[in-house]
Amino acid sequence: MTTLEAYTKAFTDTFGITDEEAKNLKFQDIKAWDSVGHMGLISAIEEAFDIMMETDDIIDLSSFEKGKEILKRYDVEIK
Amino acid sequence: MLDITPQNIRMWSLLGSCGAFGAAAESVVQENSNIVMLTADLCSFAGLSRFSKMYPDNFFNVGIAEQNMVGVAGGMAKEGLIPFVTTYATFASMRALDQIKVNMGYMKLPVKLVGMTAGLSVGILGATHISIEDIAAIRSIPNICILSPADSLETVKCVEAAVQIAGPVYLRLSGSMNNPPVYKADYDFVAGKAITLKDGEDITIIATGTMVHNSLRAAKLLKEKGISAKVVNMHTLKPLDVDAVKSACSSKMIITVEEHSVIGGLGGAVAEVLAGIEKKPEHLIIGVSDSYKPAGEYKYLLEQYGLLPEQIAEKIEQNYKK
Amino acid sequence: MTNLTELSKQMRTDMLKMAYSVGKTGAHIGPSLSLTEIIAVLYFSVMNFDPKNPQNDSRDRLILSKGHGVMAQYAAMKQLGMITDEVLLTFKKNGSKLSAHPSLNRELGIEFSSGSLGQGLSLGVGCALALKRKKSNSRVFVILGDGECNEGSIWEAAMYASYQKLNNLTVIIDKNNIQYDDFTDNILSMNPLDKKWESFGFETKTVNGHDTEQLIKILNMNAEKPVAVIAETIKGKGVSFMENNPQWHNGILSQELYEKALVEIGGANA
Repeated sequence: MTTLEAYTKAFTDTFGITDEEAKNLKFQDIKAWDSVGHMGLISAIEEAFDIMMETDDIIDLSSFEKGKEILKRYDVEIK
Repeated sequence: MLDITPQNIRMWSLLGSCGAFGAAAESVVQENSNIVMLTADLCSFAGLSRFSKMYPDNFFNVGIAEQNMVGVAGGMAKEGLIPFVTTYATFASMRALDQIKVNMGYMKLPVKLVGMTAGLSVGILGATHISIEDIAAIRSIPNICILSPADSLETVKCVEAAVQIAGPVYLRLSGSMNNPPVYKADYDFVAGKAITLKDGEDITIIATGTMVHNSLRAAKLLKEKGISAKVVNMHTLKPLDVDAVKSACSSKMIITVEEHSVIGGLGGAVAEVLAGIEKKPEHLIIGVSDSYKPAGEYKYLLEQYGLLPEQIAEKIEQNYKK
Repeated sequence: MTNLTELSKQMRTDMLKMAYSVGKTGAHIGPSLSLTEIIAVLYFSVMNFDPKNPQNDSRDRLILSKGHGVMAQYAAMKQLGMITDEVLLTFKKNGSKLSAHPSLNRELGIEFSSGSLGQGLSLGVGCALALKRKKSNSRVFVILGDGECNEGSIWEAAMYASYQKLNNLTVIIDKNNIQYDDFTDNILSMNPLDKKWESFGFETKTVNGHDTEQLIKILNMNAEKPVAVIAETIKGKGVSFMENNPQWHNGILSQELYEKALVEIGGANA
């Protein structure tokens, strides 16, 4: 599995959406991505890449795209 | 029942005790439709936004009226519902204290009172919002079980336990978001039965709520100083696990640590047991000193009151006589 | 139908017996006497209540929030055959189940403990909400004192009851115009009490609280919202020296006064 696939899977598994829907997703675009869903997503991403994110990064991760940038700080390149 | 996976444990820890409470609420109501959630205008704060949308018939927002909320819950409990009542711990415990006494204590109606952000976590809002007196207030009322989970996973377990307990319960939720986990995997939780998290020969640290984590870290620091500490999670403050206190008497010192006033909380409860024991070691009570300090952020206030792990370790070291 | 006038007489007689039996301890005789017809009408006409099966789920719920008036309720229980004369006279004795303020007792149909004023309406609201959830037709009656309406928690509960449209809830205010210390007008007047309840969203009616026919008519009324019945009563009703006298909120009956009171209450039957 590529890192992009693993990253996308965190979104699709957490929110029950398709790969296509995940791509342009932003916080609160869908019901499932509320504050509770957000923490579910974070823990899924952390699990996928075996990292622990900082509080500021957890708050900043407000879209599929933004998440890719943030993960670079944890030496995770999404491609 | 919620799945206890590493991912869920991490998620609940991120959510903090309030969010974990909300997740547990969604889970328990699926198994028992008599469970209802009440709040006094703090739906999202109590982690109940999702619950309120998913189970509107099981959700009651009574407005900013805590006395009425506890009374309404009493009426519901008498009619067979299992009401959880949620607001800031300080308002839950003291704004409606007479209602708690009459409904939960005197009549033993099975209301489950949930005190959010107990301790110092909302200290930036000032002394009106912190809750360092709630255990003392509620512990003095007969018949009410008091649960004080050490982390978010234990919060989930306490919610499940509160449903099973036939009588009234006060669930004291301390800490904030990103609550450090004490438990990283599933374990057996039995209300009233303390859990030894770490063995040690010299001293016994009995802690509750957030201070369980800090005490474990303090124990590590003490080890470097050559003091071997046993750490006990006293997640149930009433009825207190008297046997756990008795067995701690074989240590050279007993230390209680809590994010609550040094008067009338865990320290008081343990001291009450020790008073009846002839041969006992010195008991050091670590907690919030009998004072209100200027408002400040959580960690700042913990430091002001000497409740950070290194401060706890230092205080124990100073008082420990080999 | 039961003769409510005769029944009320017997209840009052038993209340005096209870009050006399406690001697110098004293009893809340005034605020119990003012309640007599209200309690009589509820138990013997309005409420669905089976004294042989007081825990029946289909029963109507009665909550005496002004718990100090409980002698009226005990007296009614005797008339219902739920307690004997002997038990009645254990009133306010050490360890008795007939305590000075009601203690929750499922066998006696005492729904809740009360005595700390201002709490009964919230309990009633909780019951009414739970009964609606159960799709039950049972009604909830909560009796408050007018002095008790000083308590802020009453109004918290009132707001919520009308917001929740609890038309299965009826509040009866025993408006005897006297509280512990003095006339309510000299302490904290709640007047106009009817306007207050009306503005809190209650269908509000004022009745003579000693007129059983009027009470029955009003209490059987259907409404779209919760109902508040302001029952205008006389504290100490039936005993001339007690009537409208703040001294008799809690009073001690000497033998002489007791006998005088019995004659007044009993009338021709004394």
